[in-house]
Amino acid sequence: MFSIGFRALFKREVLRFVRRPKNTFMPPAITNVLYFAVFGVILGGRIDEPVDGIGYILFLIPGLVVLGVISNAFENASFSIFHGRWNEYIHETLTSPLSYVEMVVAYVAASAVRGLIVGVIVAVIGALFVPVTVEHAVFLVVTMVVIAALFAGFGIIGGLIARDFDDLTVMNQFILRPLVFFGAVFYSLTMLEPIWQAVSLLNPMVYMVDSVRYGLLGHSDMFEVMPAAASEFAPLLSLGVLVVLTAGVLALDVYLFKIGYGLTD
Amino acid sequence: MPPAIDTVDLVKDYGDLRALNELSLTVESGEFFGLLGPNGAGKTTFINTLVGLVRKSGGEARVFGHDVEDDYRQARDAIGLAPQEFNVDRFFPIKEVLMHKAGYHGISEDEAAERADEVLKRVGIYDKRNERFDWLSGGMKRRLLLARALVTEPDLLILDEPTAGVDVQLRHDLWDLVTELNDEGTTILLTTHYIEEAERLCDRVAIMNEGHKVTVATPDELKQRGTDTVDVRLESPPDTEATVADDLGAYAHDATVTGDRLEVRVDDGGSTAPQLLSELETMGYEIADLEISRTSLEEIFVDMTRQDDRSVTRSDAPSAATDTADGPKSERNDGRTGGTQEAVTDREPDGEYDSEREQEGVA
Repeated sequence: MFSIGFRALFKREVLRFVRRPKNTFMPPAITNVLYFAVFGVILGGRIDEPVDGIGYILFLIPGLVVLGVISNAFENASFSIFHGRWNEYIHETLTSPLSYVEMVVAYVAASAVRGLIVGVIVAVIGALFVPVTVEHAVFLVVTMVVIAALFAGFGIIGGLIARDFDDLTVMNQFILRPLVFFGAVFYSLTMLEPIWQAVSLLNPMVYMVDSVRYGLLGHSDMFEVMPAAASEFAPLLSLGVLVVLTAGVLALDVYLFKIGYGLTD
Repeated sequence: MPPAIDTVDLVKDYGDLRALNELSLTVESGEFFGLLGPNGAGKTTFINTLVGLVRKSGGEARVFGHDVEDDYRQARDAIGLAPQEFNVDRFFPIKEVLMHKAGYHGISEDEAAERADEVLKRVGIYDKRNERFDWLSGGMKRRLLLARALVTEPDLLILDEPTAGVDVQLRHDLWDLVTELNDEGTTILLTTHYIEEAERLCDRVAIMNEGHKVTVATPDELKQRGTDTVDVRLESPPDTEATVADDLGAYAHDATVTGDRLEVRVDDGGSTAPQLLSELETMGYEIADLEISRTSLEEIFVDMTRQDDRSVTRSDAPSAATDTADGPKSERNDGRTGGTQEAVTDREPDGEYDSEREQEGVA
């Protein structure tokens, strides 16, 4: 799996975003400073009651971390694949003796790394506004890695099906971002009417935000929102579903590479 | 040793359009092989099938015995491709581009760096090693494509119209380099529009048209298949063209009269000219001058790939028409295949690149 060829492609992919911090790391850093300042300090300061017993800025951190991780993992993978297709330099990879699994894992791993770096940047910025202690470190790390890999995997699919740069924008701005914003980033599910709670549970982002919130703060909305029988195991259940989903998406990526979808004529 | 390239009844369909039409071709290991054909003949599709950029619709294709789909890793590892299009990674200096490519082929980083320096020197752009692709001139870009193909030290080097649009100096440099590589044992597959290039470099050439093989031969054999033209200037013009043409023997395929000039197409001008002169004198014409011209390889190529008339080939040689019959003509589509091919390969990426289009890091 970790052949010289795989490592070469992984390194190329990482260097691409590491060498362009003004395009890759600065924007999320600045945006999240604004989020914490405006939503956390200015607006959050007017919220008298803590959200589920947690101060509002602290409550915001997991959601914004997830937003940063998935946006950047998705964008990196989709851009890298699509830009390579657009300018045809992805042929350098496709005409090499790398296996399809190696190609996909290298693209996904590099994109996941970028998502995780942005996630850490967001968490550090949040910690500048409010003290943070990690409640379930292992669970948090595993969840973040799985989420990053999942959206890097989705990014591969996005990069393969896109016909133009506009398609990438549509996927990110009109599909991904609304799902995250309605994924209980800025509010608790317990604040919603039961009908909207039920609707929210159809949004997969809810489980990701909730899992990260559980790992970081030890709090999960699912304890209260899900049926009693499931609520006790809610975080592990969410993680298990994410792992299965990620495995499925990566398998689909490999299949698409194998059949040359969007890559070969 | 298995052939460098071996295809049997290779087919590629783009919907209703057939770009490769039951193409069977063998290129022996160590050979310098040319692939000639007009635009849309299927040359690039054929190459891309070998390297994995086009998925075949049918038939078999092997590179040094490795099936291009079942054993794709071994097949691709053996190939170095310098394509027509500038499909180079724009994010990195060209030396790193070469190192990445070498790395994908399992070459360690240190060795990849050494090889990158070596091939950049070999193609003459070492001093540009820290530049990005977009800053290179057209000729340098063409050299880089060759360097990238060489950095993995391939057993099979595929050059897809490497000298298209390059200046004379570069063309000769490239010719020298690929000749040297071939002498060192590298099998070369060259596609080109320049007949002179094929004639000068190739051991054998295949002529393709509309996705199928018209013929395979050495350049000399091909030239033997052409006709000669005997140009006779008469002291006085004949009364009618028909009179002259009808009275000549069967050796004359065609006769054209223009003023006092008579052009006669024959298989072999040298041996036929005395008979022609004798017959003209018998008919009462006085000969003022005579000139024999050989058919150029280019003319033979044009004749062989002409759709409607391939009758000019030497009648007693294995004719283009005979070889063409290998492929089902009913599948042809009057050049529409060519249109598809162009659509597939002729994209110009250069003007489209814009790093600002990367909409990253919003959140």
